[in-house]
Amino acid sequence: MIQHPGILALLLASGLVSLLLTAAGWQGFRILLRWDQHSGSEAQLELERRTYLVSTLVAAGLVIQILSLFLFCFTADGLHSQFVGAMCAAGSLAVNPFGYPTLMAKIATCLLAGVWLVLHRVDTQGHDYPLIRPKYALLLILVPLVLLEAWLQVRYLTGLKADVMTSCCGSLFGQGRQGLASELAGLPSRIMQPVFWASFTALIAAGILLLRTKRGAAVFSAFSLAFLLVAVASLVSLFCLYIYELPTHHCPFCLLQREHGFVGYPLYGALLGGAISGLGVGALEPFRHQKSLAEALPWMQARLAWTALSLAGLFTLIVGIWMFLSPLKL
Amino acid sequence: MIQLDQVVKTYQAGLATPFTAVDGVSLSVPDARLTVLKGPSGSGKTTLLTLIGCMARPTSGRIHLHGLPAGTLSQLAEGEALEITSLPERFLTTIRRRTFGFIFQQFNLIRGISVLENVTLPTYPTGEDHRSVEARAVARLESLGLARHIHASVDRLSGGEAQRVAIARALINDPAVIIADEPTAHLDSRLSEDFMRLMGEFRAAGKTLLITSHDPIVYDSPLADRVIEMRDGRVVAGP
Repeated sequence: MIQHPGILALLLASGLVSLLLTAAGWQGFRILLRWDQHSGSEAQLELERRTYLVSTLVAAGLVIQILSLFLFCFTADGLHSQFVGAMCAAGSLAVNPFGYPTLMAKIATCLLAGVWLVLHRVDTQGHDYPLIRPKYALLLILVPLVLLEAWLQVRYLTGLKADVMTSCCGSLFGQGRQGLASELAGLPSRIMQPVFWASFTALIAAGILLLRTKRGAAVFSAFSLAFLLVAVASLVSLFCLYIYELPTHHCPFCLLQREHGFVGYPLYGALLGGAISGLGVGALEPFRHQKSLAEALPWMQARLAWTALSLAGLFTLIVGIWMFLSPLKL
Repeated sequence: MIQLDQVVKTYQAGLATPFTAVDGVSLSVPDARLTVLKGPSGSGKTTLLTLIGCMARPTSGRIHLHGLPAGTLSQLAEGEALEITSLPERFLTTIRRRTFGFIFQQFNLIRGISVLENVTLPTYPTGEDHRSVEARAVARLESLGLARHIHASVDRLSGGEAQRVAIARALINDPAVIIADEPTAHLDSRLSEDFMRLMGEFRAAGKTLLITSHDPIVYDSPLADRVIEMRDGRVVAGP
Protein backbone atom coordinates (compact mmCIF):
# COMPACT_ATOMS: atom_id res chain seq x y z
CA MET A 1 0.00 0.00 0.00
CA ILE A 2 2.99 2.26 0.59
CA GLN A 3 3.44 2.47 -3.19
CA HIS A 4 0.21 4.47 -3.48
CA PRO A 5 1.14 7.82 -5.13
CA GLY A 6 -0.66 9.81 -2.45
CA ILE A 7 1.16 8.02 0.35
CA LEU A 8 4.52 8.46 -1.37
CA ALA A 9 3.83 12.17 -1.91
CA LEU A 10 2.78 12.64 1.71
CA LEU A 11 5.85 10.85 3.06
CA LEU A 12 8.17 12.74 0.74
CA ALA A 13 6.61 16.10 1.57
CA SER A 14 6.65 15.33 5.27
CA GLY A 15 10.30 14.26 5.16
CA LEU A 16 11.32 17.38 3.25
CA VAL A 17 9.39 19.75 5.49
CA SER A 18 10.73 18.06 8.63
CA LEU A 19 14.32 18.36 7.42
CA LEU A 20 13.85 21.94 6.36
CA LEU A 21 12.18 23.02 9.58
CA THR A 22 14.71 21.21 11.77
CA ALA A 23 17.55 23.07 10.04
CA ALA A 24 15.58 26.34 10.22
CA GLY A 25 14.82 25.68 13.89
CA TRP A 26 18.55 25.71 14.58
CA GLN A 27 18.80 29.06 12.82
CA GLY A 28 15.83 30.27 14.87
CA PHE A 29 17.55 29.18 18.06
CA ARG A 30 20.67 31.14 17.09
CA ILE A 31 18.57 34.19 16.26
CA LEU A 32 16.74 34.14 19.59
CA LEU A 33 20.07 33.78 21.35
CA ARG A 34 22.33 36.15 19.42
CA TRP A 35 20.31 38.61 17.34
CA ASP A 36 21.49 42.17 17.97
CA GLN A 37 20.74 44.57 15.19
CA HIS A 38 22.82 47.31 16.77
CA SER A 39 25.92 45.19 16.37
CA GLY A 40 27.91 45.25 13.17
CA SER A 41 29.73 42.05 14.07
CA GLU A 42 30.48 39.39 11.51
CA ALA A 43 28.17 36.94 13.33
CA GLN A 44 25.25 39.39 13.22
CA LEU A 45 25.73 40.19 9.54
CA GLU A 46 25.96 36.49 8.76
CA LEU A 47 22.67 35.93 10.64
CA GLU A 48 21.02 38.72 8.66
CA ARG A 49 22.17 37.28 5.34
CA ARG A 50 21.14 33.77 6.27
CA THR A 51 17.75 34.59 7.75
CA TYR A 52 16.48 35.91 4.43
CA LEU A 53 17.16 32.61 2.69
CA VAL A 54 16.00 30.47 5.63
CA SER A 55 12.73 32.39 5.99
CA THR A 56 12.00 32.00 2.29
CA LEU A 57 12.63 28.26 2.44
CA VAL A 58 10.54 27.87 5.61
CA ALA A 59 7.68 29.77 3.97
CA ALA A 60 7.78 27.38 1.01
CA GLY A 61 7.92 24.40 3.40
CA LEU A 62 4.94 25.62 5.40
CA VAL A 63 2.85 26.15 2.27
CA ILE A 64 3.57 22.48 1.47
CA GLN A 65 2.64 21.58 5.05
CA ILE A 66 -0.73 23.34 4.71
CA LEU A 67 -1.45 21.72 1.35
CA SER A 68 -0.48 18.31 2.75
CA LEU A 69 -3.55 18.43 5.01
CA PHE A 70 -5.80 18.40 1.97
CA LEU A 71 -3.69 15.75 0.24
CA PHE A 72 -3.90 13.65 3.39
CA CYS A 73 -7.70 13.85 3.40
CA PHE A 74 -7.82 13.16 -0.35
CA THR A 75 -5.53 10.14 0.03
CA ALA A 76 -7.41 8.77 3.04
CA ASP A 77 -10.64 9.10 1.08
CA GLY A 78 -9.13 7.39 -1.96
CA LEU A 79 -7.87 4.49 0.16
CA HIS A 80 -11.24 3.62 1.69
CA SER A 81 -11.97 0.99 -0.93
CA GLN A 82 -8.97 -1.00 0.34
CA PHE A 83 -10.51 -1.60 3.75
CA VAL A 84 -13.46 -3.77 4.62
CA GLY A 85 -16.19 -1.63 6.10
CA ALA A 86 -14.78 1.78 5.16
CA MET A 87 -17.04 4.05 3.08
CA CYS A 88 -14.90 7.21 3.10
CA ALA A 89 -11.87 8.78 4.79
CA ALA A 90 -13.58 8.32 8.18
CA GLY A 91 -13.14 4.57 7.88
CA SER A 92 -9.59 4.79 6.45
CA LEU A 93 -8.50 6.95 9.37
CA ALA A 94 -9.89 4.43 11.84
CA VAL A 95 -7.83 1.56 10.39
CA ASN A 96 -5.17 2.06 13.06
CA PRO A 97 -4.79 4.26 16.15
CA PHE A 98 -2.64 6.87 14.34
CA GLY A 99 -5.13 8.06 11.69
CA TYR A 100 -7.16 10.58 13.66
CA PRO A 101 -4.21 11.88 15.74
CA THR A 102 -2.39 12.53 12.45
CA LEU A 103 -5.38 14.47 11.16
CA MET A 104 -5.60 16.53 14.36
CA ALA A 105 -1.85 17.23 14.29
CA LYS A 106 -2.10 18.28 10.64
CA ILE A 107 -4.95 20.69 11.41
CA ALA A 108 -3.00 22.20 14.33
CA THR A 109 0.17 22.62 12.24
CA CYS A 110 -1.89 24.02 9.37
CA LEU A 111 -3.28 26.79 11.61
CA LEU A 112 0.10 27.58 13.18
CA ALA A 113 1.87 27.46 9.82
CA GLY A 114 -0.70 29.92 8.47
CA VAL A 115 -0.09 32.31 11.35
CA TRP A 116 3.68 31.99 10.81
CA LEU A 117 3.23 32.88 7.15
CA VAL A 118 1.24 35.96 8.16
CA LEU A 119 4.01 37.06 10.55
CA HIS A 120 6.62 36.40 7.87
CA ARG A 121 4.72 38.40 5.27
CA VAL A 122 4.47 41.40 7.58
CA ASP A 123 8.07 41.03 8.74
CA THR A 124 9.29 41.39 5.17
CA GLN A 125 7.45 44.72 4.89
CA GLY A 126 9.70 46.33 7.51
CA HIS A 127 13.27 47.28 6.68
CA ASP A 128 14.64 46.38 10.13
CA TYR A 129 13.39 42.78 10.61
CA PRO A 130 10.69 43.97 13.03
CA LEU A 131 9.15 40.54 13.73
CA ILE A 132 12.29 38.43 13.53
CA ARG A 133 12.18 37.23 17.15
CA PRO A 134 8.44 36.38 17.41
CA LYS A 135 8.61 34.76 14.00
CA TYR A 136 11.41 32.41 14.97
CA ALA A 137 9.96 31.83 18.46
CA LEU A 138 6.79 30.58 16.76
CA LEU A 139 8.92 28.47 14.44
CA LEU A 140 10.50 26.79 17.46
CA ILE A 141 6.98 25.83 18.62
CA LEU A 142 6.12 24.63 15.12
CA VAL A 143 9.18 22.42 14.66
CA PRO A 144 8.33 19.80 17.34
CA LEU A 145 4.69 19.83 16.23
CA VAL A 146 5.63 19.19 12.61
CA LEU A 147 8.04 16.44 13.67
CA LEU A 148 5.31 14.86 15.83
CA GLU A 149 2.88 15.08 12.93
CA ALA A 150 5.45 13.50 10.59
CA TRP A 151 6.03 10.65 13.03
CA LEU A 152 2.28 10.06 13.48
CA GLN A 153 1.81 10.12 9.72
CA VAL A 154 4.60 7.61 9.14
CA ARG A 155 3.10 5.32 11.79
CA TYR A 156 -0.34 5.68 10.25
CA LEU A 157 0.65 5.24 6.60
CA THR A 158 3.11 2.40 7.18
CA GLY A 159 0.59 0.68 9.47
CA LEU A 160 -2.14 0.45 6.84
CA LYS A 161 -3.04 -3.21 6.31
CA ALA A 162 -5.54 -4.13 3.63
CA ASP A 163 -7.00 -7.05 5.56
CA VAL A 164 -8.13 -4.89 8.47
CA MET A 165 -11.84 -4.48 9.12
CA THR A 166 -12.76 -0.95 10.03
CA SER A 167 -15.83 1.05 10.94
CA CYS A 168 -17.93 2.92 8.42
CA CYS A 169 -18.70 6.60 8.86
CA GLY A 170 -22.33 5.85 9.65
CA SER A 171 -21.11 3.92 12.65
CA LEU A 172 -18.43 6.44 13.71
CA PHE A 173 -20.69 9.47 13.38
CA GLY A 174 -23.88 7.75 14.43
CA GLN A 175 -25.91 9.09 17.31
CA GLY A 176 -26.12 7.23 20.59
CA ARG A 177 -22.49 6.05 20.61
CA GLN A 178 -19.57 7.19 22.70
CA GLY A 179 -16.80 9.50 21.52
CA LEU A 180 -16.37 13.02 20.18
CA ALA A 181 -17.62 12.19 16.67
CA SER A 182 -20.80 10.70 17.98
CA GLU A 183 -21.35 13.54 20.43
CA LEU A 184 -20.92 16.10 17.65
CA ALA A 185 -23.42 14.22 15.52
CA GLY A 186 -25.81 14.11 18.44
CA LEU A 187 -25.89 17.88 19.00
CA PRO A 188 -29.51 18.96 18.51
CA SER A 189 -30.13 20.99 15.36
CA ARG A 190 -32.56 23.35 17.10
CA ILE A 191 -29.65 24.45 19.30
CA MET A 192 -26.86 24.31 16.73
CA GLN A 193 -28.69 26.44 14.18
CA PRO A 194 -29.01 29.51 16.46
CA VAL A 195 -25.53 28.91 17.86
CA PHE A 196 -24.08 28.93 14.34
CA TRP A 197 -25.90 32.11 13.34
CA ALA A 198 -24.96 33.77 16.63
CA SER A 199 -21.31 32.85 16.05
CA PHE A 200 -21.42 34.13 12.47
CA THR A 201 -23.12 37.38 13.54
CA ALA A 202 -20.61 37.89 16.37
CA LEU A 203 -17.73 37.41 13.93
CA ILE A 204 -19.19 39.90 11.45
CA ALA A 205 -19.85 42.43 14.24
CA ALA A 206 -16.30 42.04 15.60
CA GLY A 207 -14.96 42.41 12.06
CA ILE A 208 -16.92 45.61 11.40
CA LEU A 209 -15.80 47.02 14.75
CA LEU A 210 -12.18 46.18 13.94
CA LEU A 211 -12.31 47.65 10.45
CA ARG A 212 -14.00 50.85 11.63
CA THR A 213 -12.20 51.54 14.88
CA LYS A 214 -8.96 49.51 14.47
CA ARG A 215 -9.73 48.03 17.88
CA GLY A 216 -10.73 44.59 19.11
CA ALA A 217 -8.17 42.51 17.22
CA ALA A 218 -7.92 39.94 20.03
CA VAL A 219 -11.72 39.61 20.20
CA PHE A 220 -11.90 39.18 16.43
CA SER A 221 -9.24 36.44 16.61
CA ALA A 222 -11.12 34.64 19.39
CA PHE A 223 -14.38 34.86 17.42
CA SER A 224 -12.63 33.52 14.31
CA LEU A 225 -11.41 30.48 16.20
CA ALA A 226 -14.82 30.05 17.84
CA PHE A 227 -16.48 30.25 14.42
CA LEU A 228 -14.22 27.47 13.14
CA LEU A 229 -15.20 25.19 16.03
CA VAL A 230 -18.90 26.06 15.89
CA ALA A 231 -18.98 25.71 12.10
CA VAL A 232 -17.39 22.23 12.23
CA ALA A 233 -19.86 21.17 14.95
CA SER A 234 -22.75 22.63 12.95
CA LEU A 235 -21.53 20.94 9.79
CA VAL A 236 -21.51 17.53 11.50
CA SER A 237 -24.72 17.93 13.45
CA LEU A 238 -26.80 19.93 10.99
CA PHE A 239 -25.53 20.97 7.55
CA CYS A 240 -24.40 17.49 6.53
CA LEU A 241 -27.96 16.28 6.76
CA TYR A 242 -29.05 18.77 4.10
CA ILE A 243 -26.09 18.02 1.86
CA TYR A 244 -26.62 14.23 2.02
CA GLU A 245 -30.40 14.66 2.05
CA LEU A 246 -30.52 12.05 4.81
CA PRO A 247 -31.69 12.85 8.34
CA THR A 248 -29.26 10.38 9.93
CA HIS A 249 -25.97 10.78 8.04
CA HIS A 250 -23.54 13.09 9.83
CA CYS A 251 -20.16 12.16 8.31
CA PRO A 252 -17.92 15.21 7.65
CA PHE A 253 -15.65 13.13 5.36
CA CYS A 254 -18.20 12.04 2.74
CA LEU A 255 -18.27 15.72 1.75
CA LEU A 256 -14.87 15.11 0.17
CA GLN A 257 -16.29 12.65 -2.34
CA ARG A 258 -17.26 13.12 -5.96
CA GLU A 259 -20.90 12.19 -5.20
CA HIS A 260 -21.21 15.40 -3.23
CA GLY A 261 -19.29 17.58 -5.67
CA PHE A 262 -16.13 17.57 -3.48
CA VAL A 263 -17.90 20.31 -1.54
CA GLY A 264 -15.84 19.48 1.55
CA TYR A 265 -12.70 21.01 0.05
CA PRO A 266 -14.08 24.55 -0.39
CA LEU A 267 -15.92 24.27 2.92
CA TYR A 268 -12.87 23.20 4.93
CA GLY A 269 -10.61 25.47 2.89
CA ALA A 270 -12.83 28.44 3.73
CA LEU A 271 -12.97 27.52 7.41
CA LEU A 272 -9.22 26.99 7.79
CA GLY A 273 -8.33 30.02 5.65
CA GLY A 274 -10.75 32.16 7.65
CA ALA A 275 -9.38 30.90 10.96
CA ILE A 276 -5.77 31.53 9.87
CA SER A 277 -6.66 35.05 8.73
CA GLY A 278 -8.57 35.76 11.94
CA LEU A 279 -5.79 34.40 14.14
CA GLY A 280 -3.28 36.40 12.09
CA VAL A 281 -5.10 39.63 12.99
CA GLY A 282 -4.61 38.92 16.70
CA ALA A 283 -1.07 37.63 16.26
CA LEU A 284 -0.06 40.96 14.68
CA GLU A 285 -1.73 43.18 17.29
CA PRO A 286 1.15 43.23 19.84
CA PHE A 287 3.42 44.69 17.15
CA ARG A 288 1.15 47.52 16.15
CA HIS A 289 3.53 50.12 17.54
CA GLN A 290 6.58 48.93 15.61
CA LYS A 291 7.70 52.05 13.79
CA SER A 292 8.79 50.34 10.60
CA LEU A 293 5.38 48.63 10.36
CA ALA A 294 3.33 51.77 10.97
CA GLU A 295 1.77 51.53 7.50
CA ALA A 296 2.06 47.84 6.63
CA LEU A 297 0.64 46.29 9.79
CA PRO A 298 -2.77 48.04 9.99
CA TRP A 299 -3.16 47.50 6.25
CA MET A 300 -2.39 43.80 6.64
CA GLN A 301 -4.74 43.46 9.62
CA ALA A 302 -7.56 45.03 7.63
CA ARG A 303 -6.85 42.77 4.68
CA LEU A 304 -6.78 39.69 6.91
CA ALA A 305 -10.03 40.73 8.59
CA TRP A 306 -11.68 41.13 5.19
CA THR A 307 -10.36 37.72 4.17
CA ALA A 308 -11.64 36.07 7.36
CA LEU A 309 -15.07 37.67 6.93
CA SER A 310 -15.24 36.78 3.25
CA LEU A 311 -14.30 33.15 3.87
CA ALA A 312 -16.80 32.85 6.75
CA GLY A 313 -19.36 34.34 4.36
CA LEU A 314 -18.36 31.87 1.63
CA PHE A 315 -18.81 28.93 4.03
CA THR A 316 -22.20 30.23 5.13
CA LEU A 317 -23.24 30.89 1.54
CA ILE A 318 -22.35 27.35 0.42
CA VAL A 319 -24.14 25.61 3.29
CA GLY A 320 -27.02 28.09 2.99
CA ILE A 321 -27.50 27.35 -0.71
CA TRP A 322 -27.34 23.63 0.02
CA MET A 323 -29.93 23.98 2.82
CA PHE A 324 -32.18 26.03 0.56
CA LEU A 325 -31.96 23.65 -2.38
CA SER A 326 -32.08 20.42 -0.39
CA PRO A 327 -35.36 18.51 -0.57
CA LEU A 328 -34.77 17.52 3.07
CA LYS A 329 -36.64 19.69 5.57
CA LEU A 330 -35.96 19.15 9.24
CA MET B 1 26.08 62.12 4.79
CA ILE B 2 27.36 58.57 4.44
CA GLN B 3 28.88 57.17 7.61
CA LEU B 4 31.01 54.02 7.65
CA ASP B 5 31.77 52.29 10.91
CA GLN B 6 34.50 49.63 11.05
CA VAL B 7 33.59 48.18 7.68
CA VAL B 8 35.34 44.95 6.69
CA LYS B 9 34.93 43.00 3.47
CA THR B 10 36.55 39.59 3.24
CA TYR B 11 36.17 37.50 0.12
CA GLN B 12 36.19 33.71 0.50
CA ALA B 13 35.64 34.11 4.23
CA GLY B 14 35.79 30.76 5.99
CA LEU B 15 37.63 29.12 3.07
CA ALA B 16 41.31 28.25 2.73
CA THR B 17 42.26 31.48 0.97
CA PRO B 18 40.38 34.38 2.50
CA PHE B 19 41.19 37.84 1.17
CA THR B 20 40.34 40.99 3.07
CA ALA B 21 39.79 43.77 0.53
CA VAL B 22 38.51 46.37 3.01
CA ASP B 23 39.84 46.20 6.52
CA GLY B 24 38.12 48.14 9.30
CA VAL B 25 37.35 51.35 7.42
CA SER B 26 35.59 54.12 9.33
CA LEU B 27 34.92 57.37 7.54
CA SER B 28 32.23 59.85 6.61
CA VAL B 29 31.34 61.26 3.21
CA PRO B 30 29.75 64.71 3.58
CA ASP B 31 26.72 65.82 1.56
CA ALA B 32 27.12 68.04 -1.52
CA ARG B 33 30.87 67.58 -1.57
CA LEU B 34 33.29 65.84 -3.89
CA THR B 35 35.20 63.10 -2.10
CA VAL B 36 37.97 61.20 -3.84
CA LEU B 37 39.18 57.76 -2.78
CA LYS B 38 42.78 57.57 -3.90
CA GLY B 39 45.11 54.60 -3.90
CA PRO B 40 46.89 52.00 -6.04
CA SER B 41 45.21 49.01 -7.65
CA GLY B 42 44.16 46.48 -5.02
CA SER B 43 43.89 49.06 -2.26
CA GLY B 44 40.17 48.35 -1.77
CA LYS B 45 38.72 51.52 -3.36
CA THR B 46 36.32 49.76 -5.73
CA THR B 47 35.23 47.26 -3.08
CA LEU B 48 34.47 50.14 -0.75
CA LEU B 49 32.40 51.83 -3.47
CA THR B 50 30.37 48.67 -4.05
CA LEU B 51 29.66 48.45 -0.32
CA ILE B 52 28.58 52.09 -0.09
CA GLY B 53 26.51 51.75 -3.26
CA CYS B 54 24.62 48.72 -1.87
CA MET B 55 25.98 46.43 -4.56
CA ALA B 56 27.66 44.16 -2.01
CA ARG B 57 27.37 43.58 1.71
CA PRO B 58 30.27 43.91 4.14
CA THR B 59 31.51 41.00 6.21
CA SER B 60 31.20 43.16 9.30
CA GLY B 61 30.64 46.81 10.17
CA ARG B 62 27.78 49.17 9.43
CA ILE B 63 27.04 51.88 6.88
CA HIS B 64 24.52 54.62 7.63
CA LEU B 65 22.90 56.97 5.14
CA HIS B 66 21.82 60.28 6.65
CA GLY B 67 19.51 62.87 5.19
CA LEU B 68 17.72 60.65 2.70
CA PRO B 69 15.11 62.53 0.72
CA ALA B 70 11.47 62.08 1.74
CA GLY B 71 9.81 59.07 0.16
CA THR B 72 12.97 57.01 -0.29
CA LEU B 73 11.43 54.43 2.04
CA SER B 74 7.87 55.02 3.20
CA GLN B 75 8.76 53.89 6.74
CA LEU B 76 11.42 56.56 7.24
CA ALA B 77 10.82 60.06 8.53
CA GLU B 78 12.49 62.77 6.49
CA GLY B 79 16.14 63.11 7.45
CA GLU B 80 16.17 59.92 9.50
CA ALA B 81 19.36 57.85 9.21
CA LEU B 82 19.12 54.47 7.54
CA GLU B 83 21.47 51.58 8.22
CA ILE B 84 21.95 49.91 4.84
CA THR B 85 24.09 46.84 5.52
CA SER B 86 21.23 44.98 7.20
CA LEU B 87 18.57 45.93 4.66
CA PRO B 88 16.75 43.07 2.96
CA GLU B 89 17.34 42.97 -0.78
CA ARG B 90 13.96 44.44 -1.75
CA PHE B 91 14.75 47.63 0.19
CA LEU B 92 18.32 47.73 -1.12
CA THR B 93 16.98 47.79 -4.66
CA THR B 94 14.92 50.87 -3.85
CA ILE B 95 17.89 52.59 -2.20
CA ARG B 96 20.19 51.76 -5.12
CA ARG B 97 17.68 53.05 -7.62
CA ARG B 98 16.70 56.28 -5.88
CA THR B 99 19.80 57.30 -3.97
CA PHE B 100 22.80 56.31 -6.09
CA GLY B 101 23.87 56.93 -9.64
CA PHE B 102 26.75 54.77 -10.83
CA ILE B 103 29.43 55.59 -13.38
CA PHE B 104 31.52 52.50 -14.04
CA GLN B 105 35.11 52.29 -15.18
CA GLN B 106 34.13 50.40 -18.36
CA PHE B 107 30.97 52.57 -18.70
CA ASN B 108 28.86 49.36 -18.98
CA LEU B 109 26.63 50.68 -21.74
CA ILE B 110 24.37 48.13 -23.40
CA ARG B 111 25.65 47.52 -26.90
CA GLY B 112 23.22 47.30 -29.79
CA ILE B 113 20.71 49.81 -28.44
CA SER B 114 20.61 53.55 -28.81
CA VAL B 115 22.04 56.24 -26.56
CA LEU B 116 18.53 57.30 -25.50
CA GLU B 117 17.53 53.74 -24.66
CA ASN B 118 20.67 53.27 -22.58
CA VAL B 119 19.97 56.43 -20.62
CA THR B 120 16.32 55.61 -19.94
CA LEU B 121 16.97 51.97 -18.94
CA PRO B 122 17.26 52.58 -15.15
CA THR B 123 13.78 54.15 -15.12
CA TYR B 124 11.98 51.09 -16.50
CA PRO B 125 11.40 49.39 -13.09
CA THR B 126 10.03 52.62 -11.62
CA GLY B 127 6.98 52.58 -13.87
CA GLU B 128 7.39 56.28 -14.54
CA ASP B 129 5.63 57.72 -17.59
CA HIS B 130 7.92 57.04 -20.53
CA ARG B 131 7.31 60.38 -22.26
CA SER B 132 8.44 62.40 -19.26
CA VAL B 133 11.45 60.09 -18.84
CA GLU B 134 12.41 60.57 -22.48
CA ALA B 135 12.03 64.33 -22.23
CA ARG B 136 14.30 64.32 -19.19
CA ALA B 137 16.84 62.08 -20.89
CA VAL B 138 16.91 64.22 -24.02
CA ALA B 139 17.42 67.38 -21.94
CA ARG B 140 20.26 65.75 -20.03
CA LEU B 141 21.94 64.46 -23.19
CA GLU B 142 21.65 67.92 -24.77
CA SER B 143 23.23 69.51 -21.71
CA LEU B 144 26.13 67.05 -22.05
CA GLY B 145 26.62 67.92 -25.72
CA LEU B 146 25.23 64.67 -27.05
CA ALA B 147 22.15 65.98 -28.86
CA ARG B 148 23.18 64.65 -32.26
CA HIS B 149 23.87 61.15 -30.90
CA ILE B 150 20.53 60.62 -29.15
CA HIS B 151 19.28 57.98 -31.58
CA ALA B 152 22.70 56.58 -32.51
CA SER B 153 23.85 53.19 -31.36
CA VAL B 154 26.32 53.36 -28.46
CA ASP B 155 28.74 51.20 -30.46
CA ARG B 156 29.60 54.25 -32.58
CA LEU B 157 30.57 56.57 -29.73
CA SER B 158 34.07 57.68 -28.82
CA GLY B 159 35.40 57.07 -25.27
CA GLY B 160 34.51 60.56 -24.08
CA GLU B 161 31.04 60.39 -25.58
CA ALA B 162 30.40 56.96 -24.09
CA GLN B 163 31.37 58.27 -20.70
CA ARG B 164 28.98 61.22 -20.99
CA VAL B 165 26.21 58.79 -21.89
CA ALA B 166 27.12 56.83 -18.76
CA ILE B 167 26.90 60.07 -16.76
CA ALA B 168 23.48 60.86 -18.24
CA ARG B 169 22.32 57.37 -17.33
CA ALA B 170 23.62 57.74 -13.76
CA LEU B 171 21.64 60.95 -13.37
CA ILE B 172 18.35 59.88 -14.95
CA ASN B 173 16.71 58.97 -11.60
CA ASP B 174 18.02 62.19 -10.04
CA PRO B 175 20.10 60.45 -7.34
CA ALA B 176 21.47 62.31 -4.33
CA VAL B 177 24.82 60.53 -4.59
CA ILE B 178 26.93 59.93 -7.69
CA ILE B 179 29.47 57.14 -7.43
CA ALA B 180 32.18 56.93 -10.08
CA ASP B 181 34.77 54.16 -10.22
CA GLU B 182 38.00 55.20 -11.99
CA PRO B 183 36.02 57.40 -14.37
CA THR B 184 39.04 58.82 -16.17
CA ALA B 185 40.90 55.55 -16.66
CA HIS B 186 40.06 55.45 -20.39
CA LEU B 187 40.14 59.17 -21.11
CA ASP B 188 42.89 61.47 -22.29
CA SER B 189 43.86 64.50 -20.20
CA ARG B 190 41.49 66.94 -21.94
CA LEU B 191 38.51 64.65 -21.54
CA SER B 192 39.49 63.94 -17.93
CA GLU B 193 39.51 67.67 -17.20
CA ASP B 194 36.11 68.01 -18.93
CA PHE B 195 34.84 65.24 -16.72
CA MET B 196 36.02 66.99 -13.56
CA ARG B 197 34.39 70.23 -14.70
CA LEU B 198 31.12 68.34 -15.05
CA MET B 199 31.52 66.89 -11.57
CA GLY B 200 32.05 70.40 -10.28
CA GLU B 201 28.72 71.43 -11.82
CA PHE B 202 26.97 68.51 -10.15
CA ARG B 203 28.53 69.38 -6.81
CA ALA B 204 27.31 72.94 -7.21
CA ALA B 205 23.85 71.51 -7.88
CA GLY B 206 23.95 69.78 -4.46
CA LYS B 207 24.95 66.27 -5.49
CA THR B 208 27.24 64.22 -3.27
CA LEU B 209 30.10 62.85 -5.35
CA LEU B 210 32.29 59.90 -4.47
CA ILE B 211 35.02 59.06 -6.95
CA THR B 212 37.79 56.48 -6.85
CA SER B 213 40.87 57.29 -8.84
CA HIS B 214 44.62 57.07 -9.04
CA ASP B 215 44.66 59.82 -11.67
CA PRO B 216 46.24 63.08 -10.43
CA ILE B 217 43.83 65.07 -12.62
CA VAL B 218 41.09 63.80 -10.28
CA TYR B 219 42.69 63.74 -6.83
CA ASP B 220 44.76 66.89 -7.31
CA SER B 221 41.79 68.78 -8.73
CA PRO B 222 40.82 71.93 -6.77
CA LEU B 223 37.24 70.65 -7.04
CA ALA B 224 38.02 67.72 -4.74
CA ASP B 225 36.85 68.72 -1.27
CA ARG B 226 38.35 65.71 0.37
CA VAL B 227 40.90 63.11 -0.65
CA ILE B 228 41.02 59.85 1.27
CA GLU B 229 44.02 57.65 0.61
CA MET B 230 43.72 53.89 0.84
CA ARG B 231 46.29 51.13 0.86
CA ASP B 232 45.88 47.41 1.53
CA GLY B 233 42.21 47.89 2.38
CA ARG B 234 42.84 50.53 5.00
CA VAL B 235 42.54 54.28 5.11
CA VAL B 236 46.03 55.69 5.45
CA ALA B 237 45.37 59.40 5.02
CA GLY B 238 42.56 61.94 5.00
CA PRO B 239 39.69 60.17 6.77
